[in-house]
Amino acid sequence: MLNYALLVHAAPYSHQAALSALRFADAIVTGGHRLAAVFFYHDGVHNASALMSPPQDEIHLAEGWKRLHEDHGTQLLVCIAAGLRRGLLNTDEANRHGLASHNVEAPFELTGIGQLVDAMLNNDRLITFAP
Amino acid sequence: MTNIRASDIEPQDLMVVLRHPPHGSHWLREGIDVALVAAAFGQRVGLLFQGDGVYALLEGQQAGALGQKGTHPQLAMLEMYDIESLWVSAAALSERGLSIDDLMLPVKPLGAEAVAELMQVQPHTLIF
Amino acid sequence: MQLHLLNRSPQSTAVYRDLGEAFGADDQLLLIEDACYAALPAASGVIEAFGGRVSVLEEDLVSRGLAGRVSPAITVVDMKGFLALTETHERCVSWF
Repeated sequence: MLNYALLVHAAPYSHQAALSALRFADAIVTGGHRLAAVFFYHDGVHNASALMSPPQDEIHLAEGWKRLHEDHGTQLLVCIAAGLRRGLLNTDEANRHGLASHNVEAPFELTGIGQLVDAMLNNDRLITFAP
Repeated sequence: MTNIRASDIEPQDLMVVLRHPPHGSHWLREGIDVALVAAAFGQRVGLLFQGDGVYALLEGQQAGALGQKGTHPQLAMLEMYDIESLWVSAAALSERGLSIDDLMLPVKPLGAEAVAELMQVQPHTLIF
Repeated sequence: MQLHLLNRSPQSTAVYRDLGEAFGADDQLLLIEDACYAALPAASGVIEAFGGRVSVLEEDLVSRGLAGRVSPAITVVDMKGFLALTETHERCVSWF
């Protein structure tokens, strides 16, 4: 068994890469490995939006990521610097910035780039999916 | 310009490959951010400028018309973070009519074989 | 020994050139997403540089209508095969 981490740079519904990442995540866990963390960076932070509302006959990416967390304990890490710039905030950050609403909720966590470095150093594999 | 030989390359903890030019996208900026954070966490970090990423090193860059910072101020901070292993693809430079003298930082030019060797010896590589 | 992932069509020549420069003698290349088009015989000039160590992801071929059009020099792998490539290669880098 290997420990994997994924780095996702691609926004949902703009490019196939976010879907490829979720497909590969499923392959990791069904293949008997552990997916320790997914780190969302660059435009990939949009995968964490709680307001994502795709049509019912399309896959719901945020729900897909959440399911990985619920079923396999995968950490869903969203780069806070990339996220804030692009309007991805949890309640703490919304309060800090005096904003009335937020769109990042558990199990997605806003976190620093240091967590990406940790994920890279502490897992056997880091696989990147970019647009 | 003398290219570095493969045998002169020292492995780092992390190598960040920068392939995108400044200002046109956020790739370069977010790539350098990862390098700076990793260095701040005590990792030895090297940078490889490849493809249009070599334009990141061009002298004379400025903030954009809307005040967007660009990436040259970040590159100026590399030394402070002890990021001193800076490599550039010699082919990428010459294809763009550039030489080492056009660049703002002391980077080491690598021939094609040395670029492949550099990739082989690094334990972790991220491409931006 | 590295696994290189690539997702751009062969029309994006710059990324193929940069990858070619970084590609080591024992490395493997896996074509996914729009890089599937590089698995067609017409793109063999672009793929030659990678010395027969090239695979392509089946499900991305199928969705693009390319399943019967792959160059014989290229290995078709399914999702399990993709996972297996990451198991056998300690390092994986992505070009885009």
